[in-house]
Amino acid sequence: MSEPYFITARALAERGRDEMPAQSVPSKALIYSSPATLSYNSPGANGFGVKRAGLVIPESVMLLVSPGCCGRNSTILSAEGGYSERMFYLQMDETDLVTGRHLEKIPQAVREIIEVPEKRPKVVLICITCVDALLGTDLERVCRKAEEYAGVRVVPSYMYALTREGTKPPMAAIRESVYSVVEKRKTDPHAVNLLGFFAPLDDECEIYKMFPAAGLTHIREMSRETSYEGCLRMGEANFNLLLNPEARSAAEDMMQRLGMPYIELTRSYDADVIARQYKLLGAAIGVEFSDGEYRAEAEAEADSFRRDYSGLKIALGQTVNANPFELAASLAHLGIVTERIFSNYSADDYLYIKQLASLSPDTRLYTGISPTMALYRPEGGADLTIGRDAAWYYPKAPNLPFCSDRQSFGYRGLVKLLRGMREELESGGQPV
Amino acid sequence: MKGLMKYLSPFAPDQSGAVSVLFAMGGIIVIMDAGGCAGNICGFDEPRWLEQLYAPDLSGGECASSVFSAGLRDMDAILGRDEALILKTADAAAVLEANFIALIGTPVPAVIGTDYTALKRMAEKKLSLPIIAVPTGGIQLYDKGQEETYLAIIREFAGGCEKGEPDEKIVGVLGASGLERTSREGFGPLIRRLDPEGKLDVRIFGDRLQDFRELPAVGRNVVVSPSGITAAEYLKDRFGTPYEIEYPLPETDGARFVSHPGRKILIIHQAVLASALKKRALEADPSACVCTATFFMPLDGSGERTDIVLKDEDDLADIAVSGGFDIIAGDPLFRRALTGLSGLFVPLPHFPVSGSLHVPASESEFLQAFDDGLFS
Repeated sequence: MSEPYFITARALAERGRDEMPAQSVPSKALIYSSPATLSYNSPGANGFGVKRAGLVIPESVMLLVSPGCCGRNSTILSAEGGYSERMFYLQMDETDLVTGRHLEKIPQAVREIIEVPEKRPKVVLICITCVDALLGTDLERVCRKAEEYAGVRVVPSYMYALTREGTKPPMAAIRESVYSVVEKRKTDPHAVNLLGFFAPLDDECEIYKMFPAAGLTHIREMSRETSYEGCLRMGEANFNLLLNPEARSAAEDMMQRLGMPYIELTRSYDADVIARQYKLLGAAIGVEFSDGEYRAEAEAEADSFRRDYSGLKIALGQTVNANPFELAASLAHLGIVTERIFSNYSADDYLYIKQLASLSPDTRLYTGISPTMALYRPEGGADLTIGRDAAWYYPKAPNLPFCSDRQSFGYRGLVKLLRGMREELESGGQPV
Repeated sequence: MKGLMKYLSPFAPDQSGAVSVLFAMGGIIVIMDAGGCAGNICGFDEPRWLEQLYAPDLSGGECASSVFSAGLRDMDAILGRDEALILKTADAAAVLEANFIALIGTPVPAVIGTDYTALKRMAEKKLSLPIIAVPTGGIQLYDKGQEETYLAIIREFAGGCEKGEPDEKIVGVLGASGLERTSREGFGPLIRRLDPEGKLDVRIFGDRLQDFRELPAVGRNVVVSPSGITAAEYLKDRFGTPYEIEYPLPETDGARFVSHPGRKILIIHQAVLASALKKRALEADPSACVCTATFFMPLDGSGERTDIVLKDEDDLADIAVSGGFDIIAGDPLFRRALTGLSGLFVPLPHFPVSGSLHVPASESEFLQAFDDGLFS
């Protein structure tokens, strides 16, 4: 074999959702490391990993209980991200690995670390890793003990990379931990929580205008709260709006625990899909959203882009604020040709892959983590790449990273994307 | 509390040390982890990984290795699927050209008690490449991983060699891994100091696999960090190769230093470089009282000894209070833990502590900051 493995959108769609190729299944091969796949193996390297995500709880600190290697990347990430003073480490030794005696130290460690910050934290997250998964540690019991001993709220969290393809992968589990601090309060019919992301939606997102006009006047996101008390007010919500499937287990937990129902919206870059979702959401909660103005703006931007750039050839990565397959299918409606997508895919993506196959059957899908990607050499042309990792595959093409912490959503997300693409094309030099 | 870090963050672990020895020799490196350990190594502890992908001409090295995660999942760990790991490795080896395959341990195989000898044997039956298995566990520090890796390579590639005729012109350097670089320019200045006239063949072990195959011909070894001492001892026993423990530094310009009689100075770094810096400080100011300390392997042999061995963060805080030092030179991240320090702190970056956060551009910049901090 002299080139990396890929499959076309058409071929993948024809296989069906239950016949994903072995090359796309992480357990079937070694996982190749390239800068483009760094965020796969070390999610915190590009954005939010478990540690930074856990600290989204206001006035919290984290105690990582693990072998030293698990906290190593925090040396740099926490310094760059400005949270080094909120991270603490209890390192395990070889005896701990066998006996689990490190668990006995946790209550005292919690008591010591809460005295370090100038302002005493309100919450301590205890985070354990793969070795405790194998030891079968009952962290909830340990946290209860630490809470009694130290007199501070102690929340369990899990960085179990071993369970990445399981029912509750680490980034889903940490969302459950984060939202577990929310407790039931008297329901406010005008309150809604936005669940799913560790940073707020863009301030320009239409949700912040459209929802209040429909009576949802209190829109809360954990990442916008600056105090622990503020985040507790999320317990007043009438319902949760789930914007990222990785928060589904957290939403389920809140429904079980607090009786707080949830409605799921999917992030899309297709104006028709966005409109349909708002209509269905309105019907579900008995209101009508006035989205005409925002839809018109998005459609005007899309028409203009189609007029100027129809036939544009792009490549997509997976470190992007979008599902790359949904994005490719949405952009295909605007006449934009996605030549290559560098992203892992699974049965969950099949719906989009099927759509893509009908619109752009020859799009090549590469799994970035396949060992064969070591053979990848840039070839072919791309006028633009989208996604931070895509820049590595096409170093000479203009790149729109589109992966900021702040999240794009809805019509305004589409507008932002298209304007960003235009800007890169106009300022990023001639297409290769 | 033992093991609790309130101000510092974890140092480079043994598995990073193992990779730092192997990386430049063109192998397939399999990190036996679930993903995060490989991410830590590539993204944080092995700066050459990123450098070579954009500029394949590794300075001094042979060619970069491909680094893989084994992608272990819970059932792999519970069932101990070693054979599946070997099959996946064989699939990767069928696609790529490589000089060797290295299997690097992490906490997961440590917990399940992986038998690395058996794993190596199993891999050798399936694959036609040399296999190096390093039983790191993510608990020990980087220097331990380096030590074990040097020994593993030597045993693999020179274990069967006959004692040969040493060539006095060949000088081996042990302990000069990617993690021990004091600056972004690497070991070029060190090599030039070992061979100022350009008449010797100075070999940094870890740059080329062939150097390990030619070990019997080495005239002498220089050990520049403690992780190379055990390997140097082994080579002395096995091939009679003499070695010295030293980190040659350029001479100081004593004339420009201001003496501060009786000052008490503490230098915290890897033990061999700390000792070299101690000598440098004493040359510049013989009246000073200079001590060395390290969190890593100390020097405790018959020659230079490390004065203070630091085990935990609390030891560092205690020194600041009880040591009475006028100056402490150490990695910039240590400053935060030295809450009781009343004297001066001189930044002395060490990659296994602060990673790429404070790496100077050149060795001269590294030394200039030290000299200026102590004696200006």
